[in-house]
Amino acid sequence: MSNLAHSSGNEISTLLMRATPLNPQTSINDVGELFLQKEYAGLLSLPIVQGGMLIGSISRHQMIDIFMSRFGRELYGNRPISQIMNAEPLQVGIDQPLAAAAQHVAENIRTPISEDFIVTDNGRYLGMGVVLDLLRAMEQRVAASTASLGEAYRQLQASQAQLVQSEKMASLGQMVAGVAHEINTPLGYVRNNVEITQAVFEQLRSVLTDHEHLLDLMAAEEPDEEAIHVQLLKASAASADLREGNTLDDTEALLKDTLFGTDQIKELVVNLRNFSRLDQARVAEVNLNESLEQTLVIAKNVLKNRVEIIRRLADIPSVSCSPSQINQVFLNLISNGAQAIEHDGGRLLLKTESDDTHVHVSIQDNGKGIAQEHLEKIFDPFFTTKPIGQGTGLGLSISYQIVQAHGGQIRVASILGKGSRFVVSLPIVAVQPQAQTQAIAA
Amino acid sequence: MPIKPDLVLVDDEERILRSLAMLFRPHYNLYTTTDARDALQYVRDHRVHVIVSDQRMPVMRGADLLREVRIASPNTMRLLLTGYSELEAIVASVNEGEVFRFINKPWDAAELKQTVNQAAEISFDLFSSQPSVTPPVSTFTETGSFIAPQPEEGILVIDDDAEVVKAVREIVGPSQAVHWASSLDQAFSILAENNIGVVISELFVKREPIALALKMLKAEHPEVVSIVMTPFQDTSVLIGLINQGQVFRFLPKPIRRGPLGMNIASALRHHRALKSAPKLRTIHAVEPVRQIEDNNVAARVMGFLGRLRNRNLGSFGASP
Repeated sequence: MSNLAHSSGNEISTLLMRATPLNPQTSINDVGELFLQKEYAGLLSLPIVQGGMLIGSISRHQMIDIFMSRFGRELYGNRPISQIMNAEPLQVGIDQPLAAAAQHVAENIRTPISEDFIVTDNGRYLGMGVVLDLLRAMEQRVAASTASLGEAYRQLQASQAQLVQSEKMASLGQMVAGVAHEINTPLGYVRNNVEITQAVFEQLRSVLTDHEHLLDLMAAEEPDEEAIHVQLLKASAASADLREGNTLDDTEALLKDTLFGTDQIKELVVNLRNFSRLDQARVAEVNLNESLEQTLVIAKNVLKNRVEIIRRLADIPSVSCSPSQINQVFLNLISNGAQAIEHDGGRLLLKTESDDTHVHVSIQDNGKGIAQEHLEKIFDPFFTTKPIGQGTGLGLSISYQIVQAHGGQIRVASILGKGSRFVVSLPIVAVQPQAQTQAIAA
Repeated sequence: MPIKPDLVLVDDEERILRSLAMLFRPHYNLYTTTDARDALQYVRDHRVHVIVSDQRMPVMRGADLLREVRIASPNTMRLLLTGYSELEAIVASVNEGEVFRFINKPWDAAELKQTVNQAAEISFDLFSSQPSVTPPVSTFTETGSFIAPQPEEGILVIDDDAEVVKAVREIVGPSQAVHWASSLDQAFSILAENNIGVVISELFVKREPIALALKMLKAEHPEVVSIVMTPFQDTSVLIGLINQGQVFRFLPKPIRRGPLGMNIASALRHHRALKSAPKLRTIHAVEPVRQIEDNNVAARVMGFLGRLRNRNLGSFGASP
């Protein structure tokens, strides 16, 4: 008995064992002897072949039945095996796919399992196959496809994480541009004011020196009236310059501006930190009114003087959520809303309210609206109506996933030409974090 | 300067205006406004020497304002102030606004004062010159036949892509000399042996940076007009090319023939104006190159410029 592992694509051939078939005329007694031979030791049944064609099979089980019955050997021993053989043996075509063969065997095998299957090529006998080997081969194949499915899943997850990352980078880039501009403006006048104040300080120092010199002259033991007169003129001229140029008042105003500017920079930095919440726990009790305010500061650059913000913020309970993720959702919805407004007189209505179980945040614009046929696709990954290179098409899809991972809901209503409204509803009591949270947080 | 020059400051942030006003009040007649349209009206109604405008403002971007100012009053020197350099703004401010300087916030007060003083002096010169000397306002309406060729103004294309020189030759026709350099050294020898009025250049040729050579060439020979045509988009390099190289146009690649043709025509006209009126060249006064990015290139450019100076060759002979 040898295992003929052909390297061809034919999977059945790898299970094929060569076994010398029985002649139909062989006596039952002789078949009993043959079953004991080493060649057939591993087989439950043996093939019976006539002129190369498979005509039946005989199993050990059948033989035992005969030999164990009283006078069985004496009564049947000399009869040809063809008289008691199974004329419809379990057979598998050599070119059958593994899965089809396995299915055929499973459906037709007798219980208790008392036979192996016979491999034929159009009825011509080729060899035997062990049922257990077939099952094992199937098992291996299932394991292999499970592994490749797992690999594909891992790759999908990795590219998903990469896409989420690139969307994050895109919105981060937009944010950095906005914040850099917001910071550089106060920084511009703060720096300039400090330089001007420095010059004014020099001027003051020289006026002070003039006055000190005057005092020195006056306090001298023998005052030089002529020198005092000259110095008096000089000092008062310098003072007059200061006064007439309004230098001190102007500088005071500049210093006030400078303080205002540094406070503004501080506020921007605090907001930036609150917005990203990188220094805080992943999940926190958050008041969504505050999240909206933080997001508005970050989005200021998109909105600047172009869109009027109307707040209708109710007294809402805190929700347990990941603040940086929820801020990302709000930034996405607010900047989408602002971008949808192409006319003067743009308005963005921010509304919060709560019921027993949820907090609802509504962001409504009076922009161009979303076409009905687009409405059902807007949460799909890569769906975008923006020109190539201006949107990843992932913003809303990621927002949708974030909200879903929080056990919440995001809904949209839109009228073409009138505007759109997005409502984000988050449960007040956090749901068990889902597997998705992990993927998004990556 | 005999009288105080007129300076207009435009920014939507009043604190910027207050701060700048205090810096300039002692030496300038000031007009400050937060409204770009108001500023434009003021420039139309008054003689203004210098305008400094913020880029990001509601209603009108700074680059758009400066474009309108250039049309209304080409002798008014234009400076753009920005908080965050956007490529689009830089390109628009060069191609449409022909800005003198691009200034990033936060700025250095002493430096800004110096730059504005320089701009004011140039503007004074322009206003005091004959009206015919004022720079031509090249509008983008030129279509049809190319401007009449003059043999003494060759065009030098510095690019390792043969398609570029082919396109330029097809646009300007056979009567205008078009030279091709596919390396920096080739460019030097062509400049030494020919009259070149307009340079059309990539920023990198055979992986060698060209920006520094363009800057140094402009510093020595302000009458040579350069067009940079590149797919390369680095804002700091482009700002350097404005402030230190007074590049005439930035054009994107791949080539679009229509705009390229119009801009070559504008560049040639501009070159003629600069050549006929040496005084005009001051509008292209450049900032000294602060950082020498590549010493090797710098040394070669210096060597080349030195040789050129000694031989006093070509169209450069006319330069002071």
